[in-house]
Amino acid sequence: MSLLEISGLTLDLPSEPSCRLLDGISLNVGAGETVGIVGESGSGKSLTARTVLGLLPGGARTSGSVLLDGTDMLRCPPSVALDRRRDTVSMIFQDPRSGMNPVRRIGDFLTESLRLCEGWSKADADERALELLRSVGLPRPESHLSQYPHELSGGMLQRVMIAGALTAAPALLVCDEPTAALDVTTQAEIINVLRKQQETRGMGMLFITHDLNLAAALCDRVYVIHSGRIVEYGSALSIFTSPRADYTKRLVAATPTIPSVSGRRSSAAASHGRAPSAGSAEPALEARGVSKCYAIRGGADIRAVDDVSFRVPPGGALALVGESGSGKSTLARMLVGLERPDSGDILVDGVSRSTRPRSRAERLKRARAVQIVFQDPYLSLDPRIPAGAAIEDALRLHSTLRGVEARARVLTLLDRVGLTEKHSQSKPRTLSGGQRQRVAIARALAAAPGVLVLDESTSALDVSVQAQVLDLIDEIRRERGLTLVFVSHDLAVVRRVCETTAVMKQGAVVESGATAGLLEHPGHPYTQLLIDSIPKPRRSLHAISQ
Amino acid sequence: MTILPILKKLGSLALTLFAASILVFCSMYFVPGNPVSFLLRGRSPSAEAVAAVTAQYGLDKPVPEQYVDWLANVLHGDFGRSFQYREDVSTLIASRAPATIGLVALAGLIIGILGLAAGITAALNQGRAADQAILLASTGLAAIPSFVGAIVLIAFFAVQLGWFPSFGSGNGFLDALYHLVLPALALAATFVALVARVTRTSMLEQLGREHVEVAVSRGIGRGHVIRRHVLRNALGPILTVSGVLVAGLLVASSIVEQSFGLSGIGSLLVQSVDRLDFPVVQAIVLLIVVIFVTMNTVVDLLAPVIDPRSMAGAAAR
Amino acid sequence: MTTFPLTRAVPRHFRPRSGNPLFTAAIILAMVMVIAAAAATLIAPYDPDFVDLGNVLSAPSPAHWLGTDAVGRDTLSRMMFGARTALLGPLLVVLLSTALGIGFGLLAGWFGGWIDAVLCRVFDLLFAFPALLLAILAVAIFGKGLTAPVAAMTIAYIPYVARLVRSLVVSERGRPYVTAYRVQGFAGCWIAVKRVLPNVMPTVGAQSTLNFGYVLADLASLSFLGLGVQPPAADWGAMINDSRGALMSGQSLPALVPAIAVVLVVIAMNIIGENLSDRIGGRRQP
Repeated sequence: MSLLEISGLTLDLPSEPSCRLLDGISLNVGAGETVGIVGESGSGKSLTARTVLGLLPGGARTSGSVLLDGTDMLRCPPSVALDRRRDTVSMIFQDPRSGMNPVRRIGDFLTESLRLCEGWSKADADERALELLRSVGLPRPESHLSQYPHELSGGMLQRVMIAGALTAAPALLVCDEPTAALDVTTQAEIINVLRKQQETRGMGMLFITHDLNLAAALCDRVYVIHSGRIVEYGSALSIFTSPRADYTKRLVAATPTIPSVSGRRSSAAASHGRAPSAGSAEPALEARGVSKCYAIRGGADIRAVDDVSFRVPPGGALALVGESGSGKSTLARMLVGLERPDSGDILVDGVSRSTRPRSRAERLKRARAVQIVFQDPYLSLDPRIPAGAAIEDALRLHSTLRGVEARARVLTLLDRVGLTEKHSQSKPRTLSGGQRQRVAIARALAAAPGVLVLDESTSALDVSVQAQVLDLIDEIRRERGLTLVFVSHDLAVVRRVCETTAVMKQGAVVESGATAGLLEHPGHPYTQLLIDSIPKPRRSLHAISQ
Repeated sequence: MTILPILKKLGSLALTLFAASILVFCSMYFVPGNPVSFLLRGRSPSAEAVAAVTAQYGLDKPVPEQYVDWLANVLHGDFGRSFQYREDVSTLIASRAPATIGLVALAGLIIGILGLAAGITAALNQGRAADQAILLASTGLAAIPSFVGAIVLIAFFAVQLGWFPSFGSGNGFLDALYHLVLPALALAATFVALVARVTRTSMLEQLGREHVEVAVSRGIGRGHVIRRHVLRNALGPILTVSGVLVAGLLVASSIVEQSFGLSGIGSLLVQSVDRLDFPVVQAIVLLIVVIFVTMNTVVDLLAPVIDPRSMAGAAAR
Repeated sequence: MTTFPLTRAVPRHFRPRSGNPLFTAAIILAMVMVIAAAAATLIAPYDPDFVDLGNVLSAPSPAHWLGTDAVGRDTLSRMMFGARTALLGPLLVVLLSTALGIGFGLLAGWFGGWIDAVLCRVFDLLFAFPALLLAILAVAIFGKGLTAPVAAMTIAYIPYVARLVRSLVVSERGRPYVTAYRVQGFAGCWIAVKRVLPNVMPTVGAQSTLNFGYVLADLASLSFLGLGVQPPAADWGAMINDSRGALMSGQSLPALVPAIAVVLVVIAMNIIGENLSDRIGGRRQP
């Protein structure tokens, strides 16, 4: 019998009578096996994970069974479910920072279940906590015990969460997107910790993720879930290389990869056959030794951006890639004039823009030169203003179009980003994430800018939506000869759009060059680390058995 | 590193108190005309009365000097003399203080127990009958100003049923307590509702937090989770509101004392306003402001104990 | 979406829609009060100051729906005329303090820097004076009546509104949609007044509605203490004060009628205010 056997699980909420949240989910996890559930947001993957621990939303009605080591977690008395959570199954959550009580110490978090539920003495519990912290590779276990969560970084906290989940020596570990809130290099470390613990303890692992690459890299078998149903399951490699269900096919096609793995699909940049020769013409956008410091109260200044220089020719596309804290977003803000560099200069079409604009005309001229699309589509639109009106506002500011003409132009722009007249009346809250991002793009285009900065513009979107928006950006760029600067943490994403890439670390550019070349022959160890950290599907069953 | 924020808060306390004292002192200059005639409104401006007032406030000196002298006296506990009672204001206040302290303490106790209990019960039964009932009751209670509470309590429990006295403060501890029951209830009504609502909201917010779900997922029992992770984390807003509550209680006590014929500081304030006894008004207003601002600073200083993050705010990345 | 099982949250659709009938009732009550106050001269059955010593403390009857007080004045008529001062005072306080509070709050929140620092200091100072205490002090200085307390309460409520506006504006200012307006080249003042202010107004409006109830209760308290509207003018608080003697002799109606009216108006304002802020909360969800 399997360690975990879910059969025919359905779940309804009275608040959403029209749609069934989980619809006939069946899956199993054997002892010592790693099983992935892959799905986009709203697919029901997190809900499935929670049912394994008997955590249901209030008022949920279920049918089917969730057998954990022979106990049906849906029907057993609460005390039995409590016991199973203490000794059989543990869970790791997405965001370690919100997953730990901010007012209690790390030591308290690790030992509370032992002391309160198992009656261990404080000394014994602390000893066990230290042992666990060591095993997940934290540098100073003794001092961590008396620290508060806010004193640790996200990656360290996720290690603490893992240690916390392992206190009870569970037979099954449920991981709900445990690395989604982390940088890619940190993700790689956490995945290693998980893999090592899973192997040494022989635990079963149920790994929930939106990232097909990650699932394929870590899991033996993968279930693909879509709108509350399992659409496909099989070995990780077969799902990735030969998907059968339509949804899986689309998902695989939309998933960004880097060439060293799936290789054959040509990058968007290369297919244009238009690798611009740097320096041949006046650059559309140029940064000359740009630096920016932030003063931190009671500490040394932080060099957010440190002597960065680059040139982007007209119609070119530059990717600025880095992890959090690399200064890439600060640089993006300086490019659009939201902040001014401490030293150095930013030139658009040869015109410096590092000083404060002196007049309304100059401010508008600069706005017409560079526009930006932000990361979060939910926050970057004014909640009160309908999509069409938002675009019309920008048009009125930057053109002489008024009345009927302006509205016609709004519709043209909406049409260009794949939206219709119906959307122009919609308030942002009625639009989906992808639609909002399209509105944001249309609004940026209303000023007819020469340079468009994309600040992580697709990273908040689901994989399939992200692919569509990336395609849209690429089309518009070709049509209008836009110069692009794409700020992102994801090498695989920028590769689709940008032919040159600059890798940033701690405010400085460590390496730059043609994207394809950079990916194939990284010259800097950090670039190499970034590439290595991207999860790659294991190539063969042989690799899995090892 | 930990001492600096504390000093900062104490400094801002001192600054606020300083400004408040200037405002209270200068208030007698807000009326156009001579401060002597303002202070002696409604009294015969006899030569000796004028001389006494001039001496008390040093009105023959320049205004800044008047203020400095007045402040020095206040800091020594000397608030001058009451026109009405011909007594030192400080003696007068000291003799009235026990009644007010007893009233506010009893009301505070009722508020603490009932408010917290109702809020916690409502939060743990969100959406069910108990929650609805508590929400409804608190909407009603919150709308009962203390003078209305006093009238209603007197009408039913004192006059109709005759269970409690409606007037005076009684002799001896138990009798005094007996006399304080209705006033304390009248005073507490609004604030019970306030505390219950804040507690409920704060608990519900914590109940929805992911760390609570994590604690449950780790097999920690319901009682432990609620005590250690929900209630403990919900304390912040409750503490903040209790700072504000002190001011409300002190001011509303004047209404309640007046309604129930208790001779406390509050009723002294109202009577002094009525009888144009400005030195007493000045002293009591300043006293309430000092207590209120100090309480809020204490609450502020306690915040890092409740939530360690608030201390690290400046040092964090 | 996944709620936590410690409390069995009843999903929104299943919650009894108690808000709406209550909300309607509150609106109707508020309108009745306003009409009664506005048309008091037309619809009041008696002169509110008409003393009828032969008909003292009468029980409700067809002639006197709500009975008469200790000197035989018709309670219903006095309630109608009393509604004028009862509603006018809080209306003035709320309108003035909201208008000024929005101005100061927007200034502090949008510009930040030294303007913010100075304004916050001033707010802190005013916060040290609870509204009712400031009103009492104002009466002690300027004399009894409605003017001094209304002015004092206005001043006391400005920092509440201003702080609310400031914190809302600060949080809006940091949102990407505001940044987006900046990048598009819109002027800062345009963004603040035309785009940020309308987004914070509903919350401020809801809070001001709540404040209306509290101010009404505070002003009635002052009249009750004999420091506000002076007899013989009809005023709810003063009516309660006048009827305390009758209350002690078991005739509670003349005191209870205005007391209940005060409570009803405060409840109605609370319900309206909370419903408004709930609606805003619902609308704000992405």
